[in-house]
Amino acid sequence: MRLEDFLERLSADGLAPGSGSASAIMVAFAARLVAMVANCSRASWEEAPGVVAQAIAISDRAAALARMDAAVWEEALAALRDAEGAIAGDPRSDFKLQQKLDAAAAAPLGIASLGADAVALASLAADHGERTYQADAAAAAALAAGAARAAAHLVRVNLGVRPSDPRLARALASEQAAGELAARLFGAEA
Amino acid sequence: MSSHSAVTDAELVQRCRAGDQDAWNELVERYSRYVYAIAVRGFRLSDEDAEDVFQDVFTRVYTRLDTLRDDSAFRPWIAQLTRRRCLDAISGGDRELPTEDVVVEEGSADMGEIEEAYAVREALAGLTDTCQDILDRFFAQDQSYRTIASELDIPSGTIASRIARCLGKLRDELEGRNPASGGSRE
Repeated sequence: MRLEDFLERLSADGLAPGSGSASAIMVAFAARLVAMVANCSRASWEEAPGVVAQAIAISDRAAALARMDAAVWEEALAALRDAEGAIAGDPRSDFKLQQKLDAAAAAPLGIASLGADAVALASLAADHGERTYQADAAAAAALAAGAARAAAHLVRVNLGVRPSDPRLARALASEQAAGELAARLFGAEA
Repeated sequence: MSSHSAVTDAELVQRCRAGDQDAWNELVERYSRYVYAIAVRGFRLSDEDAEDVFQDVFTRVYTRLDTLRDDSAFRPWIAQLTRRRCLDAISGGDRELPTEDVVVEEGSADMGEIEEAYAVREALAGLTDTCQDILDRFFAQDQSYRTIASELDIPSGTIASRIARCLGKLRDELEGRNPASGGSRE
């Protein structure tokens, strides 16, 4: 899908893509920015090619999660609507709904994790890449940290995720790690 | 992740000729995915046809191993046998097609990818176990830095850099610049 088409669909009144897909795309953008910084630093940074490869892998996974999130979110909403019309306490309906909600939580959980990885890679690029591109690495970290935070929030508000759910703990850990690393980068720049 | 032992193809072939069953098992293990990949990805054979090709190729390897002139050229030889057998399967007859017809397939994108994947697999075997493990976890299992750090008991902040260094060594292996793969214990 072209970027313009994605933005058009994002603002349309349909269900998907939504904030999960937007967060995933943000991680992909951030990772590609890191790849750019590393590519521009090949002359002075021996690990740059390896960082490029990782950044592209993260970007590809984020793009796949953007598509997955849109699909599972629509299915979860449909299951919610079905559940409203079903007999209260119907175990089959409850099971189906829980399955859909689990799938809907898996995508943002993965996005939060990828966001944290993108921030870690951006941090490495900021430390070792060409100084000229340090601001781009910091910008990438900020984008990815924001996406991780947004994705963790989507896990938190998922109806199938309880406060004691280990998935929520993992999402929040990703959010925290990404936020702290990004803050360090901006602190170093100030 | 399965990886090659340090034994070369030529050594395995020589041991197979001497009747070493372990060597034969290792040779089959080493090349089973390769043969299957050529059949399925290179020639788009069905699973059933690919299985027939697989059985036939290794039968031929077993019975014709004495005809291999250069033991170090086992890989191109089994590739050739596989391609010819795949073409037989496509043609739907028992007739073996001439070798010249095979060349057409060698330049295809899928065949190139298979060869590249195999080359990477071979190069990976030249890396330390830690490097193989960390690359497999990140690129094949899609594990996060956090998970890798936790499972390998390595500081999370060093994972990306370690992966980058391992990729550098993999590149050296692929380019043949560092065949000994000595030095760092990464």
